Amino acid sequence: MKGSIKHVFALIAVLVMAAGMMFVVTGCGNSSDEGNTGSSDGITIFNSKMEIQDQMLQMAERYTEQTGVPVEVYYSSDTVSAHLATKYASGNPYTLSMVDAKDVYSLAEEHAVDLSDQDWVKDTQYAISIDDKVYGFPVCIEARGIIYNKDAIEKITGKTFKPKDYSTYTAFCGLIEELKKGGMESPTGVLKENWSLGAHYLAQVYEEREDPDAFVRGLSDGSVKLIEDQKYNALMDTFDVLKDNSYSKASAISAEREVTEQKLAEGEIAFLFGGNWDWSVISAYDYTENMGLMPIPQDLDDGMNQKLVGGGSKYFFIDSSSSTSDEQRQQAKDFLNWLVYEEDGQSFLVDECALVPAFSNIDKKVGDPLGKSVQKYAVKGALVPNYNYLPDDHYAILGAMFQKYLADKSDREGFAKDVETYWKTKTLTPHEN
Amino acid sequence: MERNTMSYKTKQFLMFAGPAVVLFCMVIVIPFIYGLYLTFTSWDGVSVDKPFVGIANYVSAFKDAYFWGSMGRTIIYSAFAVIFVNAVAFALAYLVTSGIKGQNFFRAGFFIPNLIGGIVLGYVWKFVFNRAFVAIGEAIVGGTVPSLLSSTGGAMFCLILVSVWQYAGYMMLIYVAGFMGVSDSLKEAAMIDGCTSAQAMKNVTIPLMRTSFVTCIFLSITRCFVVYDVNLSLTNGEPFNSSVLAAMHVYNKAFIYKDYGTGQAEALILFLVCAIIGIAQVYIGKKGEVEA
Repeated sequence: MKGSIKHVFALIAVLVMAAGMMFVVTGCGNSSDEGNTGSSDGITIFNSKMEIQDQMLQMAERYTEQTGVPVEVYYSSDTVSAHLATKYASGNPYTLSMVDAKDVYSLAEEHAVDLSDQDWVKDTQYAISIDDKVYGFPVCIEARGIIYNKDAIEKITGKTFKPKDYSTYTAFCGLIEELKKGGMESPTGVLKENWSLGAHYLAQVYEEREDPDAFVRGLSDGSVKLIEDQKYNALMDTFDVLKDNSYSKASAISAEREVTEQKLAEGEIAFLFGGNWDWSVISAYDYTENMGLMPIPQDLDDGMNQKLVGGGSKYFFIDSSSSTSDEQRQQAKDFLNWLVYEEDGQSFLVDECALVPAFSNIDKKVGDPLGKSVQKYAVKGALVPNYNYLPDDHYAILGAMFQKYLADKSDREGFAKDVETYWKTKTLTPHEN
Repeated sequence: MERNTMSYKTKQFLMFAGPAVVLFCMVIVIPFIYGLYLTFTSWDGVSVDKPFVGIANYVSAFKDAYFWGSMGRTIIYSAFAVIFVNAVAFALAYLVTSGIKGQNFFRAGFFIPNLIGGIVLGYVWKFVFNRAFVAIGEAIVGGTVPSLLSSTGGAMFCLILVSVWQYAGYMMLIYVAGFMGVSDSLKEAAMIDGCTSAQAMKNVTIPLMRTSFVTCIFLSITRCFVVYDVNLSLTNGEPFNSSVLAAMHVYNKAFIYKDYGTGQAEALILFLVCAIIGIAQVYIGKKGEVEA
């Protein structure tokens, strides 16, 4: 009898455990189902800009108070595409996802809603469309060039620094020499990160020309000899100046981004190739407001030394799967319109997040110095568009080759060969322009 | 109660092993089979359809020079790391069982690195290599000293060093158990028969600790082959992708280069290499086991 009581207890325990497990398993399924059907659920937003996560969270609260639409904001430090892949695999996608341009191209046709009928389309030239359908809502404009510290330069030269006067390679070299004579031993810094070298600096070799597509095709079929290319040589000339006068010349490959940007912020160095996203790092130190972005100096007369390279950065798309209800989709569209047309939304983008707006109807001025430069060039129409069709491994593989060049383990010819070899292994996918 | 009927046995089995079997299937077996299926598709990780491509992924995996490069580095890294982890762990275990003062304190101390997550540990050591060692070096030499992490050989050395530091404490615990399992009477008998203590160690203690060696070497091999966290936070493959180990390459291939099928196929190859080496090692190790 005693034995059988024990037995019963054991059985109950097992049943409880099994039930608990079933609950856990189905529990997972349920939570995503709730996302499916829940019309009063409101919208979920995936934010992939780490530096504005706090502002996003506060905004979500305010937005819910004002409109009654519940908004939840999520952030992940994973690769954007990898993170979204897991969300889609679990059948629980975000209503609105903030992604990079290349993700829009790879995701939109299957997962995004056509936004062509939205009002904001006419107010921006940075939206992403595929086959004449607008899928990507541009969150902001970002551009790259050389960041300068005006105070540091003027302290040595004693005259007002106008970036325009140094748009040629010759003039820029002259200024570097002047700074060195004046006591700044190493006036430049170089970020060794593979995205900075591969996705940003090297990409300008493709971007700063009439037809980047034709050039990339030429690289791929072997008809382009990179070492004879004017643009490549012009940009590498300037890169050599940055490299040879860098404070971290001896250990370029272990220089830390934070240290480099701190030196720039505090005026220990005067120039660094980067973009307005670097402000989030610079502003953590004892910075000066007198900084800005200038185009990469070069002697070619193609006008590129008057332009920054950049355009829309980070795009929102709305999920088209059955996991999202039509009501949620409408709420998401309303949210995007709120960002563009409501005073609160505009102020959120520009004042709180310090983003350069990608919409011509927003005339708010950006607060941070680098953003100001970008806005100035954007308004003038002096932005060379990003080339968004680079293969996904481009920045990592050629970034590594560029690092070799930076560490003097390879020369200009060797690096050109590396780039050509890389492209020859790639089959290009046709795409819209 | 009949104890040898089929239904009784089934019930007993389900009661004790059922939950574990279900969980094991859900988190290991099913994903594994599904992953195997994905190696035959050209899925990019997010799209809805998964086109079937046969063995194309395996062909491109075999052609992927970067993968085999990273595999070669993994083997070199694992060889050094496994030898040093076990040598250091054994020495530490000997030290903390030899009756020195405060040996419990030392045991805890040597074990602590293992409690710190690999990511944190990588960042801590990165700081040590890039700042602390450089500052010390510059103070001694007087000029600028490049960080160890900035040269290709140096980065691999750092990876091995940090792994040894991380795993040695854990393996030490297993060796400590091994040492304690060898009865003192056997060692004393050997000494009485005229052995020196080194001979007693070599001929009595170590053969009797063979199980510990088999376990430790197995654990360290399997861990080293799939190391990712320290690799990511300490070197992130730099400089020039010369410290990308196999697991990191597989991850990058699948999720960053969005070549999911090939990445998955490479993961499977990595698994097979790791399994074959691990099983061979255990098989050979077990064969020579002795008991007192």
